[in-house]
Amino acid sequence: MSEMTSIKTGKRPEEVSRSPSEWIRQNLFSNIPNTILTIIFGIFTLYAIRGILGFVLSGERRWEAVATNMRLLMAQGYPANQFVRVWFTLGCLMVLTGLSLAIWSGKGRLSVKKISNWVMSTGLGLAVFAALAPISASSRLGWVIAGALLIAGGLGLWQRAKNKTTETLHTIPTVPFSFGFLGILVLSLWVVPFGHYAFTNGELVAETGRTVAMSTKLPFTVMWLLLVGTYCLTNLVRESLPIAQAKACLVGLWLLSPFILNWIVLRDPDFDYGHIVSTDIPLAALFIFVGGGILFMLAKPSLGEIGRLTAIALLIFGVFNWVAAFFGWYPMLQKVRISFVLLALAALIAPNFAADRKTRLKFVTGWAILILISHWLITAVNSPSTLELQGPTYLGGFSLTLFVAILTLLLSFPLGVLLALGRTSSMPIARVLCTGYIESIRGVPLITILFFFSNILPLFLPQGMEIAELAAIVTGYTLFSAAYLAENVRGGLQSVMRGQYEAADAIGLTTSQRTGFIVLPQALRVSIPPLVGQAIGVFKETSLVAIIGAYDILRIANNVVPAQTEFLGVKREGLLLVSVIYFIVAFSMSKYSQRLEERVGLGER
Amino acid sequence: MTQKSKLIKLLAVLFAFTLVTAACGGDDSDDGSASSSDEVTLTAEGGSLLETVQERGTLNCGVSGAAVAFSTLDPQGNMVGFDADYCRAVAAAVLGDADAVNFVSLTAAERFTAVQSGDIDVLMRNTTWTQSRDTDVGMDFGPTTYYDGQQLMGKAADGFSGSSTVADLDGATICTNAGTTTEKNIGDAAEAAGITINLQTYEDFDIVTDNFKSGACDVVTTDGSALVGRKAEQQPDGEEWVIFPGAPISKEPLGPTYGQNDSQWADVVNWTVYATIIADEKGINSGNASGVVGNDAFDAEAQRLMGGEGELQTLMGLSADAFQNVISQVGNYDEIYSRNLNPVGLSRSGSSNAGWTDGGLIYAPPAR
Repeated sequence: MSEMTSIKTGKRPEEVSRSPSEWIRQNLFSNIPNTILTIIFGIFTLYAIRGILGFVLSGERRWEAVATNMRLLMAQGYPANQFVRVWFTLGCLMVLTGLSLAIWSGKGRLSVKKISNWVMSTGLGLAVFAALAPISASSRLGWVIAGALLIAGGLGLWQRAKNKTTETLHTIPTVPFSFGFLGILVLSLWVVPFGHYAFTNGELVAETGRTVAMSTKLPFTVMWLLLVGTYCLTNLVRESLPIAQAKACLVGLWLLSPFILNWIVLRDPDFDYGHIVSTDIPLAALFIFVGGGILFMLAKPSLGEIGRLTAIALLIFGVFNWVAAFFGWYPMLQKVRISFVLLALAALIAPNFAADRKTRLKFVTGWAILILISHWLITAVNSPSTLELQGPTYLGGFSLTLFVAILTLLLSFPLGVLLALGRTSSMPIARVLCTGYIESIRGVPLITILFFFSNILPLFLPQGMEIAELAAIVTGYTLFSAAYLAENVRGGLQSVMRGQYEAADAIGLTTSQRTGFIVLPQALRVSIPPLVGQAIGVFKETSLVAIIGAYDILRIANNVVPAQTEFLGVKREGLLLVSVIYFIVAFSMSKYSQRLEERVGLGER
Repeated sequence: MTQKSKLIKLLAVLFAFTLVTAACGGDDSDDGSASSSDEVTLTAEGGSLLETVQERGTLNCGVSGAAVAFSTLDPQGNMVGFDADYCRAVAAAVLGDADAVNFVSLTAAERFTAVQSGDIDVLMRNTTWTQSRDTDVGMDFGPTTYYDGQQLMGKAADGFSGSSTVADLDGATICTNAGTTTEKNIGDAAEAAGITINLQTYEDFDIVTDNFKSGACDVVTTDGSALVGRKAEQQPDGEEWVIFPGAPISKEPLGPTYGQNDSQWADVVNWTVYATIIADEKGINSGNASGVVGNDAFDAEAQRLMGGEGELQTLMGLSADAFQNVISQVGNYDEIYSRNLNPVGLSRSGSSNAGWTDGGLIYAPPAR
C-alpha cells in the first residue's frame, strides 16, 4: 500500500472556514424552499426523537432485563470461573492494537474545529434531549445546563482554533485524543451510577444507585491501561526497532490471532501430552525436515521440468489420500493428509523461489513455520475442550457473531480471489469448475447451506467422522460468501484494461507475477466498495445461525431473554440494544472503507 | 522486500487453505484410522444407543432453548426448565452425573432430523405425541411428562370467565402465532361451534401478547401452559385475564422422543421418567433418596427402584443405583414440576398433571 499512498502528493484545498451561524444560514435557510424544507424536516426529526426518547425512558421499559443478561448477550454460557480467558483474549487484541498504532505511527491529526463541532453537537443533542424527554423538571434543568456548557465550550474552542495559523496548533494528534476519549468512558464506569445487576444462584440482584460491578469496571480499566501502556512503551523504543520486520511480524500476528485466540485461549484444548510427544511432534519434524528437503531440491533453478512433474505427482498423491479416506482403503491421520496436500501446493510454487541458496532457505523456513502452525492448530482443534458448559457451543452471543464474521471474512477472501481468478482464467477446466461452483452456491439460499452443513452433512460423513457445530457454521458461511466475493472481485478484474495485461506480458512477467503485481492490485482497489458491502452483509447475516440452533446475540435478545421466567415477554429493550450494536460495527466498517478508498485514491484518479 | 511480501501472501493463502480443510475434517486425526472408529453409531445400524452414550460420557439432549419454563437459558447461561431437568434425569440414570448433558438447541423444523442424524440421543423439546410423528416421521415416544392442551385467554372486562366456551367467541378477534397447529385447531373448533371468528396470526407469541394487552386482539389462543405463564407475568394491575374453556380444545401430550426401533434405549428413557413418578408416589425426594435402601419406612418396590435387594436396573444395562442418582441429583416428578412450572403459575393440583390418585393422568407402571 505504501507505494500507492506516496503517489498522492498534493494536499487537498483547505475547507472554507465558516462560523456555526454562517453554516446554519448557508445550509439550512439559504432560500425560501430550503427554509420550508428545514422546518418541516426539523419538526419531523424532533417528533421522531421524542418518540424514541419516550420509548427508551418509559416506565414500562425493563432495562434491568438487558443489564442482568449482559453477559449472556455478550458471551452466552461461558463459565464464570473461566471468564478470565475472555478478558485475556481482549487484552491480547488491545496489546496488538497498541503495538500497531505505535509501529505504523498513527500520524493522523484531528482539527480542533472538528472536535469543537462534535462538542457543540453533543451539547445540542443534550439540549434536545432535555427539551423532549419525559423527565422531571429538575433533571431537565440539569441536562439543559450541561448542554449549554458543552455548546459554550465548543464555541470557545472553535474561536481559539480560528485564530491559530500553524497546523500543529489547530490540530491535535488523533491517537492520544481517542485514548483520552476511551479513558473518559472507562472512568465513567467508576463514577457514574449505571446500576449493579447480577444473577446468582437463581436470585436477581438489582441495585440501581451503584456503579457497575467490579467484575466489569476493573477488566475494562485494565484493557485501557494495556492499550495505552503498549502504545507508549512501543513509542519509546520505536527508534531502535527494525520497522519493516516489526510490521511483517504484526501482520502475521493479526492474521493468526483469531485462530489462536479462539482455539487455544477461549476453547482451552485439553492436550493429550503422551500422544503429542509420541506422534504429533515426530510427525511435524518429519514434514519439516523431509518436506523441507524436498522443497529445497525442487526450488533448484537448474531442475527444470522434473520439478513440475514431481509437484504434480505429489498433488495427485495428496488428493488420492482423500479419495482413499472416503472409501476407507487405508488408514491415515487426517493431519498427514492435509500436510501432503500442503506439500504438493508448496511444491507447485517452488519454482517461484528458484534463486540463490538464501532465497531457497527462506522458502524452506516459511514451509517450516507453516507446518508448525498448522500442526499445532489441528492438534488444538481436535483436542477436547476443558470448558464445562451447559450450552451447545463454547461461544455464543456477540462473541459468536464476531467469531463467525471474522473467520468467514478471513477465510473466504483468499478463496473468493482464487475463484474470481479461476473464473476469468483462460484454462477451460478451472473456468468451468469455478463458474459452476459460484453459480450453484449463488443459486442456493444461505439458510439451505447452513442446514446442509449442520444437519445433512453428518449423514454423509464416513463412520467416525464428526463435524463440530461451529466448524459447520464457519465452513458453510465461508463457501457461501466466497462465491459472492468472487463475483465482486471479478467485477474489479474486468475493469483492468487489456493493455495492462499486454504491458505485463511485454516486460516478461510470468502469469503469477502479472496477476500478483499488476492485475490484482488494480482489481482489488476498484472492488473495495462492493467488498466492504459484502463484508457488512456477512456480519449482519451471521444472525441466521439462529436457524440451526446456535445462540447469536440477536437470538438471545429475541427469544431467550423474553422466555426467562423473570423477564417474560421483555423483548424490545434487547432488540434496541442489539440494533445499536449492529449499527456501531457496520458503521465503523463503512467508515473504515471510506478512509481506505481515500487512501488508495479511489474515485479521484 | 518483494520476495518477502510474496512469501507472506503465499503463507496466508496456504494457511487459509489448511484451516478450511482442518475445519471440514475436525475429526479423526488423532485416532489412527478413519474407518474403524465407532464414535457415531446410528441406531439403524445395530447396537443400542445406550452403550454409545455410556462410552461417550455425555448425553446429547435436544431442547428448544426458548420455551418458557420448559427450556430456557438463565442469565448465567445455564439451561433450565422442565425439559432440561428431564435431560439431566436421563443423564443421571445413564451416566450417574446429572451435569453430563450436552444441550443441543433445536428449532421445530430440525428436531426430528437431529434425532435421525444421531446429533442427539433424546429429544425433550415439548414435542406433541401424534400418530403421524410416531409412524410416518419415524419417532418413538416415551411416557407423557406433561399433559398440555390448547386454550383461550380473554379479559374479564370483556365478559369472559373461566366457564366461557368457544361458542362465546362469535365475532371476536382471535390472535395466535403463525404456522402452528393452534391456528388450525381454533378454526376447526369455531366451525364445529358454528360461529365466525376473525383470526389473526403473528410471528411470535410476544407480539400476540402485546396486541392482546393493547386491545387489538380480544382473545388469544395457544397451549394452556404458555397462557398461564403470560397471565402470571404480564397481566397488568387492575385487569383480570381469564383462561377458558376448562377442557382444552386440543390434546397436546408432551414427553421424551427418540429414534425408533431401539428398545433398550427406549426402556432406559421411559423408566427414568417412571422412576421420577413412582418416587413421587412413594414419597422419595432428592433429600431422602440416598437413605431409602435398608430403610423399613419404604416398601420393597421403593427399595428395589433405589438399588436395594432384587433391583432390576442392572438388567437394563444401568448401574443398580441409577434411579437413586436421578432422584437425589434431579428430584422426583413433583420436585421437577414445582421447581420449573410453579413460578409461572402452573399448579399441579386439579390439572391433568396431578398424580392418578389425585384425579390426574400422571401414572407409572409398577417397578417389579
